[in-house]
Amino acid sequence: MHGWTGGILRVDLTNRTWRRETFTEEFALTWIGGRGFAAKILYDELAPGIDPLGPENKLVVAVGPISGISAPNTGKTVVAAKSPLTGGYGDGNLGTRVTEKLRRAGFDALIVEGRAERPTLLYIDDETVEFLPADEMWGKGTYETNEWIYARYGKGAGVLNIGQAGENLVRYAVIRSMEGRAGGRPGMGAVMGSKLLKAIVVKGSQPIPQAFPAEMKTLGREDLRAVRALDQESAWSKQGTTGVLSWCNEVAALPVNNFRRTHHPEAWRVNGEQLQAATVAVYGCPNCTMQCGLAMLDTERRESELDYENMGLLGPNLGLFDITQVATLNYLCDDYGIDTISGGGVLGFYADAVERGAAPGDIRFGDFEGFRRLLTAIAHRDGEVGGILAEGTLRAARVFGHGSEEYAMQCKGMEISAYNCKFIPGMALAFGVSPIGAHHKESWVITYEIQQTPRESYGRDKAQKVIDLQRIRGGLFEAIVSCRFPWIEVGWGLEHYPKYFNAITGREWELEDFWPSADRIYALIKLFWLREFPDTTRRDDYPPHAWFDPQNADTEGPIAGRILEYDRYDELLQHYYDIRGYDHRGIPTRETLERLGLGAEAAAAEAHATLG
Amino acid sequence: MRITLRLVGGLAHRLGFSEQERELPAGTTAGALLAALGIEDPGSVITTRNGWGIAPDETVEEGDRILVSPPFSGG
Repeated sequence: MHGWTGGILRVDLTNRTWRRETFTEEFALTWIGGRGFAAKILYDELAPGIDPLGPENKLVVAVGPISGISAPNTGKTVVAAKSPLTGGYGDGNLGTRVTEKLRRAGFDALIVEGRAERPTLLYIDDETVEFLPADEMWGKGTYETNEWIYARYGKGAGVLNIGQAGENLVRYAVIRSMEGRAGGRPGMGAVMGSKLLKAIVVKGSQPIPQAFPAEMKTLGREDLRAVRALDQESAWSKQGTTGVLSWCNEVAALPVNNFRRTHHPEAWRVNGEQLQAATVAVYGCPNCTMQCGLAMLDTERRESELDYENMGLLGPNLGLFDITQVATLNYLCDDYGIDTISGGGVLGFYADAVERGAAPGDIRFGDFEGFRRLLTAIAHRDGEVGGILAEGTLRAARVFGHGSEEYAMQCKGMEISAYNCKFIPGMALAFGVSPIGAHHKESWVITYEIQQTPRESYGRDKAQKVIDLQRIRGGLFEAIVSCRFPWIEVGWGLEHYPKYFNAITGREWELEDFWPSADRIYALIKLFWLREFPDTTRRDDYPPHAWFDPQNADTEGPIAGRILEYDRYDELLQHYYDIRGYDHRGIPTRETLERLGLGAEAAAAEAHATLG
Repeated sequence: MRITLRLVGGLAHRLGFSEQERELPAGTTAGALLAALGIEDPGSVITTRNGWGIAPDETVEEGDRILVSPPFSGG
């Protein structure tokens, strides 16, 4: 079998044992890798209803067939588990040297089971696995932990680690790697923490199996140069993702004060131009020639790496427009290992709830020092409020009550990324049907909506566009495991990816050959959710009430008086279900599951829930 | 007529300004405005007028705020 190592490393932290397992070519071609492997493994191996923070949950680290090879932006790895934040399937990806090293150690996936007796560092070197004490690093932040690991294993080692948030089971704790990489928004860091797993270090020295290595080497080298040239021509990485902030402000899609407002006259103070001017260093993922990790100095003169999501949610969403203050909150999130999107979402929600008298406290929008203290309290679960907010917006709203759930800005329990969809129906749908809870990575339909269709439309074309993008972003890129940015940001054509896949695997796939597996992965993830929530309804695919509340409509600006409409959103949702072949609850029908080759998985689901 | 032209992201870096007031002849279309910036393919950028999408053949009006951005995807 070319293209995959054929190996899975299974580690049991409870018994301190490990073994190498193999998978078949049929498994590889059915699930491709990354998210596909993770979803299949977790569906088959996790019993419904388990505690996501208990030893019975499993952490899957998975790469794809083109991961780690010398080609544009192939340095990504998927981390997945049952989510402590949503209770459903959870995953994320991050740039890390683990990608290449895991493959060179002979594995396409790592499954971590059980719970260690004491803080542990899992060390993997080719086929050697060691369970090493990490007590001295327990309680330390991710930056110090990373340096501690580099000092012992060298900077070339692949590293995944967690900070205090993961240790203290903050439900939106992430996994971190390298200088500024983070992934696993749905609490993957908390899953590591629940297993007392402080870090994973991977070294590997074997060649990555490739069908046509010489051809791939030439192709990869040329294409890395080509992507660099495209980036230089477009100047994209001068501001990276933060260039989008001014655009969102202009089109009334920026989250301001817990998404209450959609634009703000002071937003220019925290935009891409300000970051570009303040940039002191640039970081990126392995195999990247368009690095977007722009770092500036925060209020304490520490390097803080900003992107659009953390600028938007830790800035305007909190009523903050001093970019150095935003950088400080971002630094703290990164060091504690708090997801910056959920962190900003939770703080904004809390300030809103306090302002409306629903929650105790004196925090106000714009209170930088207050937010800074709260982040520290959340990471350590200090005090009653710190503990409540560590649970995420939805659980916090249920504690605070007083109708605050209506403005808990989340879908399926996960906080919404930095696109305010008060009047952007298709993007609201993309958040609503995202398979891991609200996340922009699955389908970024907002520019299509603003530029190519009537913004106010709830037409079938928008549902189709959401699906098209899910197939590419959540299906293709998350399974072959490669960064989507060359395609989406500098115009690197999708046709290149089957070329890499074919050079690696020896296949002759066209782009269209990936769509069945993309749809299969989405359908399987839906079954995962169904087993956990047998009483699911289409309401679970709705965004929060605040986007439908006429009293929450903008009073001035481009969308003054405009708001989403429930009936029309529901029609849009139905278009999505119809195209996907899902029933009225948003669950794949038996016919759809059979078509996607998921008959056995459907039977497994029927032991816990009904299929339509 | 007088309009405000705003560029964001890498486009501002490439063209050397982020915001300008501009005098345009009456009847200027969005496509013509882009061409004057050296952008021959309107599909290669995202263009909005006062926060709403504007097609290349639509006429720019007095007082409009036109924003041109690369087709970025967010984080």
